[in-house]
Amino acid sequence: MPTTVLQTEHLTKRYGSLIAVDDLSLEIHEGEIFGFLGPNGAGKTTSISMMCGLLRPDAGRVLIHGQSIHGGAPAVRARVGVCPQEAVLWEKLTGLEQLEYIGSLYGVLPRIARQRGRALLEALGLSAKSNELAGKLSGGMKRRLNLALALVHDPEILVLDEPEAGLDPQGRVLVREYIRSLARCKTVILTTHNMDEAERLADRVAIIDHGRLLVVDTPEDLMRTVGEGDVLEVEFSGDASPGSSSISSLVPAIAARFFASVSTVNHTLTLRGRGLIERLPELLQALREADVRTSDVRLRANSLEDVFLSLTGRRLRE
Amino acid sequence: MRLWQVFIKSVREQKRDLWVICLSLVFAPLFVFIYYVMTGSTGTTSYGVLVINQDAPVTLANGTILAAGEDVVAGLRDLSYQNGSPLLKVTLVENREVADQKLRNRAAAALVIIPADFSTKLAAFRSGDISASTDLTFIGDLTNPYYTVAAVMAMTAADAYSQAFTDAPRPVELVEIPLGASAARSEFENYVPGLFVMAVVLMIFQAAMTPMRDIESGALRRLRLTPLTSFDYLGGTSLWLGLVSVGAVLLTFATAVGFGFRSQGPIWLAFLVVAITSLSIIGIGLIVACFSKTISQAFVIANFPLGFLMFLTGAAFPLPRYTLFTLFGHSFALPDLLPPTHAVVALNKIFTLGAGLKDVVFELTALTLLSVLYFSIGVWLFQKMQMRADRTQTCNR
Repeated sequence: MPTTVLQTEHLTKRYGSLIAVDDLSLEIHEGEIFGFLGPNGAGKTTSISMMCGLLRPDAGRVLIHGQSIHGGAPAVRARVGVCPQEAVLWEKLTGLEQLEYIGSLYGVLPRIARQRGRALLEALGLSAKSNELAGKLSGGMKRRLNLALALVHDPEILVLDEPEAGLDPQGRVLVREYIRSLARCKTVILTTHNMDEAERLADRVAIIDHGRLLVVDTPEDLMRTVGEGDVLEVEFSGDASPGSSSISSLVPAIAARFFASVSTVNHTLTLRGRGLIERLPELLQALREADVRTSDVRLRANSLEDVFLSLTGRRLRE
Repeated sequence: MRLWQVFIKSVREQKRDLWVICLSLVFAPLFVFIYYVMTGSTGTTSYGVLVINQDAPVTLANGTILAAGEDVVAGLRDLSYQNGSPLLKVTLVENREVADQKLRNRAAAALVIIPADFSTKLAAFRSGDISASTDLTFIGDLTNPYYTVAAVMAMTAADAYSQAFTDAPRPVELVEIPLGASAARSEFENYVPGLFVMAVVLMIFQAAMTPMRDIESGALRRLRLTPLTSFDYLGGTSLWLGLVSVGAVLLTFATAVGFGFRSQGPIWLAFLVVAITSLSIIGIGLIVACFSKTISQAFVIANFPLGFLMFLTGAAFPLPRYTLFTLFGHSFALPDLLPPTHAVVALNKIFTLGAGLKDVVFELTALTLLSVLYFSIGVWLFQKMQMRADRTQTCNR
């Protein structure tokens, strides 16, 4: 039974007539990387702000190890480290100075804060810039320093708002691997628009829209159970064109047998359905039996983005 | 036409920042209005003159009683502008100590002492004894620009009366006694107290912009996640700003001394005055920060209180004083609500008149009370508007 580190109970926040977060209840477990997904304006930032104690809910509560974060002891809040989306730095302080400053505000001894600061800068590829003013760092370096600032007091829970935004590919890989390494000893909550990031990193994801929680599960289970499923494209060769009578007669049979939607365009038959990847040999066998020769087969598994779009729709949000 | 496009863009931007443009536009007209109100709608100022009338009336040979002292006082009271407004505000006082105190507090500009034998001497002079000339004593702070005007007016009135009575030129000698060391002050030295206050008042920009930097960058939001309390944040910030204020004043003082300025009173007392004043300026700076969203906006808004603190307190130049009420012998006017008003008076006393701690107890008390009040309001507002859990979160969901 996993230990619950952070729990929200019927969390609600209103802005006038707009309900930004509507009765959000979820549990986040110790040591997991929890992805918090939603379109723009879905309520992610508001939820996260309430979870880290920056924003007071209109109803409901946030518990960390059973203790309320709002109005509770400062030590409860100190269990959370937050890395905001924008790099929030003091431009006229060096990286190490900022880490020591934030550490001191959390009551970390100067010596320890300095040690931790150096270790964090090293881990995030910034040790050569530790005495450089933050204002002189590149955008990617600032974002990595931003992450270090969230960690210097050694929080138990780390909240990351779009951690890979604004990073180059090398920076993304570094940060991703670092976050993954953190999960051994910390609980990580991350919000992102990047489905690939969530799919690669998160043990579980929650998708919210219009302030309401739509689903919480592992990415694998979501991809297996939500959305139209895997995409399989079969290209025909020779005289077996999709318009031929053998193919036309085959389409309804394939659709029925594999619970898939089937369409044909030029020489390509496109199937979409759940579990198609696992049933690929069976499908190819069926085509062979129907004397259909294939020249190419392309597969794309159901992705988290497909799940996300299936749940939240394709309409633009702002 | 690109020039036109740039103009249109500027208009659009400014229209969407109405608060700042309104302050910029209203600033000067508001001060025109305030000055008009403060200097009186008729444009006349009554200069405060204190009179100690020691004169003993005498009976002349024809049996009439001559009370020359009272006549001079009446003459002073009769002086008026063309519109009938009195030129001098004449107050009779009993003793020199009370009068000196009022002069030091700038509650009056000049003191006139009419001697006991004033009537006797004038009567003798009129009878032909030209050796019987008498004198009138004028006392005042020569660094107070109102003194000169008040003294000239009063001398003219007294001279006119005595010449008319005796029908002879200059039957009365005029004796001028400067208050404290005011006679020894150069014009430059007269400006220094105001410049000291200005050095502190200008800290309003730093006081408003220092927390604004953290607000604008989002750093305050990050700090709110830590166990840092409002007291820690504002206390630490204020401590630094206070130090900068003291530094600014030290530099001002060193520069002034370098150019020949000498204080008549204890320097530590002057520094105490400016240190307390800086507390109020920091408070006002925090209030400005509460109503600003960016550093540049804070800069523009800070100019507004700066105008009040500079031009209505006597820091830049003296303004006529319209007493609202008097309490425990001290008159109160609207500018007394601004802490630098008391700082200017206290510094004038210390630097020019050589005042010590007991001479500026009232100013120091008023300054401290007001400074604590402004600072408390600033801290309270900042805490409520910028540091509370719900403040910076807007509905971007």
